[in-house]
Amino acid sequence: MMRSSAVSLALGYVVLGIAALVLFAAPLWYAWQVTIQDGRAEFLQADAQRLTDVFRREGADGLKTFIDARVQMQIANERILLLTDASLHPIAGNLGAWPAAVPVAPGNYTIKFIPDNRGVQTALIHVAQLGGGYNLLVGRDNALFAPLQTHFWYGLAGAVAVLSIAGLLIGLITRRALMSRVNSIRHTVSAIIHGDLKHRLPTQLNDDELNTLSRTINGMLEQIELLVHGVRNVSNSIAHDLRTPLAELRSRLEELALIRPPPEQAFAEIDGAVADVDRVIRIFDALLRLAEIDAGLRRSGFVTLDLADLAANAVEFYAPAAELKNIDLEFRSDGALPVSGDPILLAQALGNLIDNALKYAPENGAIVVAALKSGEAGAEISVSDNGPGIVDGEKSKVVQRFYRGDASRGTPGVGLGLSLVQAVAKLHGSSLVLSDQNPGLRAAVTLPLEAAMPAAIPTPPQPAVSASAGSAIAPVVTCARVPTSTSS
Amino acid sequence: MKILLVEDNERVSQFVVKGLQEAGHTTDHAGNGRDGMFLAASEPYDVIIMDRMLPGEIDGLAIIEVLRKAGKRTPILILSALSEVDDRIRGLRSGGDDYLSKPFAFGELLARVDALHRRAKGVDTEVPLTVGDLHMDPLTRKVTRGDRPIALQPREFKLLEYLMRHAGQVVTRTMLLENVWDYHFDPQTNVVDVHISKLRQKIDAEFERPLLRTVRNAGYTVTAGD
Repeated sequence: MMRSSAVSLALGYVVLGIAALVLFAAPLWYAWQVTIQDGRAEFLQADAQRLTDVFRREGADGLKTFIDARVQMQIANERILLLTDASLHPIAGNLGAWPAAVPVAPGNYTIKFIPDNRGVQTALIHVAQLGGGYNLLVGRDNALFAPLQTHFWYGLAGAVAVLSIAGLLIGLITRRALMSRVNSIRHTVSAIIHGDLKHRLPTQLNDDELNTLSRTINGMLEQIELLVHGVRNVSNSIAHDLRTPLAELRSRLEELALIRPPPEQAFAEIDGAVADVDRVIRIFDALLRLAEIDAGLRRSGFVTLDLADLAANAVEFYAPAAELKNIDLEFRSDGALPVSGDPILLAQALGNLIDNALKYAPENGAIVVAALKSGEAGAEISVSDNGPGIVDGEKSKVVQRFYRGDASRGTPGVGLGLSLVQAVAKLHGSSLVLSDQNPGLRAAVTLPLEAAMPAAIPTPPQPAVSASAGSAIAPVVTCARVPTSTSS
Repeated sequence: MKILLVEDNERVSQFVVKGLQEAGHTTDHAGNGRDGMFLAASEPYDVIIMDRMLPGEIDGLAIIEVLRKAGKRTPILILSALSEVDDRIRGLRSGGDDYLSKPFAFGELLARVDALHRRAKGVDTEVPLTVGDLHMDPLTRKVTRGDRPIALQPREFKLLEYLMRHAGQVVTRTMLLENVWDYHFDPQTNVVDVHISKLRQKIDAEFERPLLRTVRNAGYTVTAGD
């Protein structure tokens, strides 16, 4: 139990509390003692002075009468008075004899004495020598202050006791409460260790440390489950989709070994086999990159970049391909769009979208790539084509891995393009929105605009080299409709 | 060219060494990190091809770091089965000069080794480039073939400049994507080929002797020879 952190903490606080009490009481005690001692010494001195004055005025007999009267008046024996002659023989006062502990010399003395069965007391004594060998002793016992002192000590001891007991109790209670919660966390975690990732730590509504920790751990578990799920998904997909090209490759090679065709034909078959392998590698790379994006590992590659510039470059890159198909590829921009993102992935995502549009837009079709401000703090990048589009029922499916819509049958591709775009959008805290153009598909991703644009970002691009003559950067508000091709 | 290959996979090593020898290069091979470190440190090589993951205590990146700390500036091409972009960045940051992920086409490897060797010999970016009767001045950005000036778009200029800097060498599509467009992914369509054919239209179409040639299964080359 002593090892419990709650109890050690409580003990530490108790010790600290006691130390604070002592630190508080000690100077107080000292100051009290000094002040009282001084005050009383002064008082005694003044008293002695008054008696000395009486002696001077009225002589020894006068002083004797005065002292006798005083002793009579005295209710308690708190005041000590004694007048002696030169041989210390008492003349007046309430002491039977000169106390042995008090020297016969002027000054202040503290002595112990036992007055009338009241136990040992201390008394402060002032001795003055009067003329003619007479000695005067005035004093006061400290009995008056004894109860106060006792109370002081009792109070201190009581405070220490209450502090200790309360501290230990609080320590034990905290420990009990903590242990019950730690145990419940431990049970959950062991369940997770044994493979059940569905478990979550219990949390309450308040924001105490353990709850915050539990919530953070739950977030971590969420991410781990997602990752594990992702890995499982990817392995399923790999198994499913690599089987086909591998099977083709295998039969191709087997046939080659079996038939042993003439060199010319054999070489052609080998080239085909290499192409098969390249296809497998491509699927592999795409899957690995998807898994990598899903895992959120790429956030480290985030920089501030100009989305409009990125889009202009992509349009410029694909322009000759569009020209080849006689497709009008238009780029619209309304100025720099600083966003935080991974330039490689964003370029690849946009590339996939344009690639897709080029695949589905008809000959002499039109594609519009737009990088425009969206609302106050958004940057929307969109690619619209006038191809067959995607029917509503299929929109959610096309972003799934390896899904290939009816329209895509017979076109090259592995069915990972849009799922990569979706994954990239998700990594950037956004999502891919597919909508109808009637005819055609509009794919858009909106990213939050960065507040400020660092100077290192290149200035907006030169007009894109586009297949369309009228495709210079023009400020436009919306790109929901694709205009018909102007020229190509 | 004298090349060191540090690679533990026997089959890959055989394939690479044979290919490099056929291309006319002297090639040493080390099958583990210790031998690789020893050879790299003691022999003068023009290019080192380094596998990232090696058996034993010393891996490829560690060798590169040691070599660089010792002041060896031999260009190094990293081979790795890890193709993630972050990994590539880590490889280059440790002192590698280029990165090729496994599996790779031999043509790609050879082209990159050539490019590394060329780059290590120093590139003066201001000196005019000449291939046959094709001239390019990187400063004035003027391109002429014979007496005729050729007007190029900025990106076409960059493409041609890259090809001319590697004149006589094979340049792969991936190298063009990485160096001309800074794209580190594989566009599914043959866009690079289309760019090349547009460029070819401008520099070769009206001339008898083509300078920009396609190398089957590998890429392109700009050369005045045959």
